[in-house]
Amino acid sequence: MTPGPLSADYKAPGGKLLRVRLREADGRIESAKISGDFFLIPEDSLPKLEMMLEDVPLREKELKLLVDRFFRGTGAQGLGVAPDDFVKAILSAKPLEAES
Amino acid sequence: METWRLVDVEYPDDPYRNMSVEEAIPRAVGEGQAPNTVRFWHNSNTIVLGCFQSAQLEVNFDVCEETGTTIVRRFTGGGAVYHDAGNLNYAISLKRGHPLVPDADLQTVFRRLSEGAVEGLRGLGVNAEFQPINDIQVDGKKVSGAAGSIRWGTVFHHGCILVASDLAILGMVLNVPQVKLADRHVASVQKRVTTIRDELGKDVTTRDVRDGIVRGIEHSYNVRLDQGSLTKSELSTAKELYDTKYSKSAWNLEK
Repeated sequence: MTPGPLSADYKAPGGKLLRVRLREADGRIESAKISGDFFLIPEDSLPKLEMMLEDVPLREKELKLLVDRFFRGTGAQGLGVAPDDFVKAILSAKPLEAES
Repeated sequence: METWRLVDVEYPDDPYRNMSVEEAIPRAVGEGQAPNTVRFWHNSNTIVLGCFQSAQLEVNFDVCEETGTTIVRRFTGGGAVYHDAGNLNYAISLKRGHPLVPDADLQTVFRRLSEGAVEGLRGLGVNAEFQPINDIQVDGKKVSGAAGSIRWGTVFHHGCILVASDLAILGMVLNVPQVKLADRHVASVQKRVTTIRDELGKDVTTRDVRDGIVRGIEHSYNVRLDQGSLTKSELSTAKELYDTKYSKSAWNLEK
């Protein structure tokens, strides 16, 4: 059975909302969509992060390394969200049915 | 004294065209094809999504259809806003490196480039203050939200001011996620926003507010705003953006 999508609405402390929708298989991210009311420049860097997340294990250590690599590599600047918020949002994703 | 261009170019019944012009101006300013510019404009009822937002998650499509509300996505981040004729939009495009925002990070841009609007509103008698990250508040209630970018060689800041907007529709067309409401300890959109009209307790027009902000900008930044129009090149860029981006559901709805 293919697992259903995982979902999280994560509000960064004192900041903005990250809405994560992802598919995972065998503990790895198959695909990730990140949306929300945050700021990130350059704006066209977000699809790159989504692409980089593909096939990454859903574990804090690996996600942290990847998100840090994204921000360092692209020089992207967030406002209302810190790099760690992306990690926390992804890790907090749960099956849609479980959302209250 | 420095002079900036002031344009009131708007297409209230064509939000897609409005958004095309909104992008054409900072592109021209960054290329040195147009001077630093302040623009004021209106949309008739429209939801404007931030560039990272999911239309499916944020928008109540049924209410939009019932109320004839158009949905358009802007090129800047931030949250969805509802525009109607009682909402005034302003946009500031400054060539990158401008002494007002020399080494700009976005938070500094929002703070510095909200000052003109804050001062303008104060001049009208509203107790407005900038509230980080990107809001202008009156006694704890939001009356304006801003967004912006540093792109195309331009520092760009735009905001919308609730002058006399229909807050009831505003509360219905957008799905505000529970996590956001819970965080602010308030029950609904309507209870955490206000309008200039309600704050002043009298009828005030978007023109009054526009004039007040012109004065606020001139005074805050020690500049003169000189009424102008768009260049041929800006109009042609706007048309191209309209045809290829802002009139397309691929841009507006498919994120």
